[in-house]
Amino acid sequence: MTILACTALTRAFGGVHAVSGVRLTVERGELVGLIGPNGAGKTTLLRLLAGVLVPDSGSVTYDGLDVTRMPLHRRAQLGRVMTHQIVRPFRGMTIAENVTVAAGSHTTRHPWRALRTVNSAKARDRARTLLARFGIADAADKPATAVPLGYLKRMQLARALALDPQLLMLDEPLAGLNAVEATQLADQISALHASGLTVVLVEHNLHEVTRISSRLAVMHNGALLADGPPDEVMARRDVRDAYLGTGRSRAAADA
Amino acid sequence: MYYGELLLVGLVWGCTYALMALGLTLVYGLLRILHVAQATVFTLGAYVGVLTATQFGSLTLACIAAALTAGLIGPLIYRFVYQPVLNQPPFVPLVASIGIVIAMEDGFRLIFGPYGKPFDHGATLSASYGVGGLNVSAIQALIVVIALALVVALNVLATRTRVGIAWRATVGDRAMAESFGIDVQWMRYLCFFIASVLAGIAGMLIGLLNGLVEPGMGGVVSYKGLAIIVLGGLGNVQGTLIASLLLGIVESFGGVYLGDYMDRDAIAFLCVIVVLLLRPHGLFGHSR
Amino acid sequence: MDYYLSVATFAALNVTLALGLNLITGFCGQVSLGHAAFYGLGAYAAALCSTAGLPFPASVLVGVLVAGGVGAIVGFLALRVREDFLAIVTMAVGFVFLGVVRKQRWLGAEMGIANIPSTLSPLAYGVLSVGAAVGVALLSLHIRRSWMGRAFDAVAQDEDVARSIGINVARYKVIAFFLGTAAAGLAGAIYAHLAQLVVPDAFNFVQSITILAMAVVGGLGSTLGVALGAIALTLMPELFRFVNDYKLLVYGALLVGVMRFSPRGLAGLVQRFSGRALP
Repeated sequence: MTILACTALTRAFGGVHAVSGVRLTVERGELVGLIGPNGAGKTTLLRLLAGVLVPDSGSVTYDGLDVTRMPLHRRAQLGRVMTHQIVRPFRGMTIAENVTVAAGSHTTRHPWRALRTVNSAKARDRARTLLARFGIADAADKPATAVPLGYLKRMQLARALALDPQLLMLDEPLAGLNAVEATQLADQISALHASGLTVVLVEHNLHEVTRISSRLAVMHNGALLADGPPDEVMARRDVRDAYLGTGRSRAAADA
Repeated sequence: MYYGELLLVGLVWGCTYALMALGLTLVYGLLRILHVAQATVFTLGAYVGVLTATQFGSLTLACIAAALTAGLIGPLIYRFVYQPVLNQPPFVPLVASIGIVIAMEDGFRLIFGPYGKPFDHGATLSASYGVGGLNVSAIQALIVVIALALVVALNVLATRTRVGIAWRATVGDRAMAESFGIDVQWMRYLCFFIASVLAGIAGMLIGLLNGLVEPGMGGVVSYKGLAIIVLGGLGNVQGTLIASLLLGIVESFGGVYLGDYMDRDAIAFLCVIVVLLLRPHGLFGHSR
Repeated sequence: MDYYLSVATFAALNVTLALGLNLITGFCGQVSLGHAAFYGLGAYAAALCSTAGLPFPASVLVGVLVAGGVGAIVGFLALRVREDFLAIVTMAVGFVFLGVVRKQRWLGAEMGIANIPSTLSPLAYGVLSVGAAVGVALLSLHIRRSWMGRAFDAVAQDEDVARSIGINVARYKVIAFFLGTAAAGLAGAIYAHLAQLVVPDAFNFVQSITILAMAVVGGLGSTLGVALGAIALTLMPELFRFVNDYKLLVYGALLVGVMRFSPRGLAGLVQRFSGRALP
């Protein structure tokens, strides 16, 4: 069952086509890795799918609903959540509060109800459970500004999950993490996927992303180059050429 | 002919706005601070100008005195008010700046009295010339000429001198400029010096134009200056200049046609609201 | 007795005004430099109603709704512009209000509206003002603890992230403006009947900054702090008589000083020294 689809998606920035004519479908329960050399348009595509960017042409549908012009907060309410590459916590809150706000954000849907509701116990409990699940419960009461990147990345994931999403879109979740942290986080994403969550992620860390994805989509110069199971895709000549041709640094990044 | 007069008046106002707004845009471009306290050095320049002129009878001397005094105070404001709060959210320097304006208006009132000082422009400037059927007063001509000269001088400074190039580098990328050995602190002092000199001269010119120097004269001009730099695109020098002239002219004509519905000052601010509604990034957008 | 009552009444009105601004700027993070315009809107609307014969409660209600309504519109405007611009736009709104009112014959132009019918005694106005201040304070405290307050906080801290976790940022900004400006309108409506005279210059930019100073000195975001700040700044020119002549000099210097040494105001100092937040 298709949960996310886009057709003929195009977006240019001042004459440069970051994404052109991309057609992609994501079925429920898949873990799709969006990969490609630098500048291929992966992050742009993800942002278009998430609604952070508006396409110049083409459409995005979610569960059959056309969401191309839907405002961000509505999408989050519908169950599509995106996390950012550069982690942005609420800087004035603790780790736990960051996740609590997300856990209870459905209460804010109707302002009158938001005004009447003071109780945050349920949301706080949910937050603590999620923090424990990702192994960062010990940092719960620390301010978000006083915590290392590894923790922030996991908090971001916890915050995303607090929204009870059906679809998770992750922009370079492993960026900035060392090898051990990256494997751990990748495992946790894989576990989420195993529990039924659909995930689309952009990643440069080829080792991890090929390991956990059920499907890989390769982008090159704004277009979809290949799309299929990881081993098949990685065995393709044109995929290897695309990487080697433009990114010697890729080898260094994956090390 | 009537339209010609309105146009001239508007142009003259526009020139003084330009001097004020130019300083604001320079400071914003470098530090992202809305330096409303320009009003203070504007008024200070006017007072120093009128006092010097009355004492020594020379307008040239008055102008130099106004410029230098203003130019001295500006960097001091930076050093003691803005520099300590550079890493705070933009709200903080803005509110501090407004605090300076409010406080100093009262300060000027206490020092120089609430009724203002008359600025007698003397015999030489009482003349007026006929230009293409229009009656141009010497003061009006002086303002336009001085404003033009200053803008050209600034342009030359920015594009043809080492200092100017260092300046533009600092505005473009501070870290890079520093790594090239440019003293960023010195650039900031220079920035405030220039902005304040412009404001001080503008203050004296307006004092001459109105024949009066009063404690509150800087406030509204400075607030309008804010409106102008928003319209012109924050940090965008050409946009600011164009917006200044345009606003002067709009005020001039608007004062006649809309004068029954709102006073002159409100026109400028109404323009800002309307323009921002239609073009949220200002008429000309940002320089970056 | 009369003197103390009068001072207390004005302190209460200032508390109401400052708390209103606190909702907009302190809770929701939207800079507003034109708050006095809504004070004026409430005052003028109520004055017109009472002069036309409406009973006092109805006039006050109209004042509140007019101020809140226009405030909501300004809130919509605020959605279009970035942070830097918002300060300027709200400043502009204040100047436009003033500039338009000054020229309207039917609003009394520069002379304003005089002889506003007053049905209550000074004591009654005092009680009413204090009641309004307490009411707005209680509302603020409640909002702070509720999910509306959490939504405001999220919006104030990072709009984009707030959106991505499902908060309707636009809606909450407008709500903040509405509530804050309605509070200002309430203060204005009471003031109009108390003073029995409204003139445009009572609602100028300096007045907006005075209210801002009260909120800032007290500590934006803290209901108690802002209330104390408003009371302190109202009392100061009375306690130190000579200050009255230099009132603006002192307010301005206070603003600079607070921004320089403790941007979070009194509440910030309390938090720094006791480790606990002032509600």
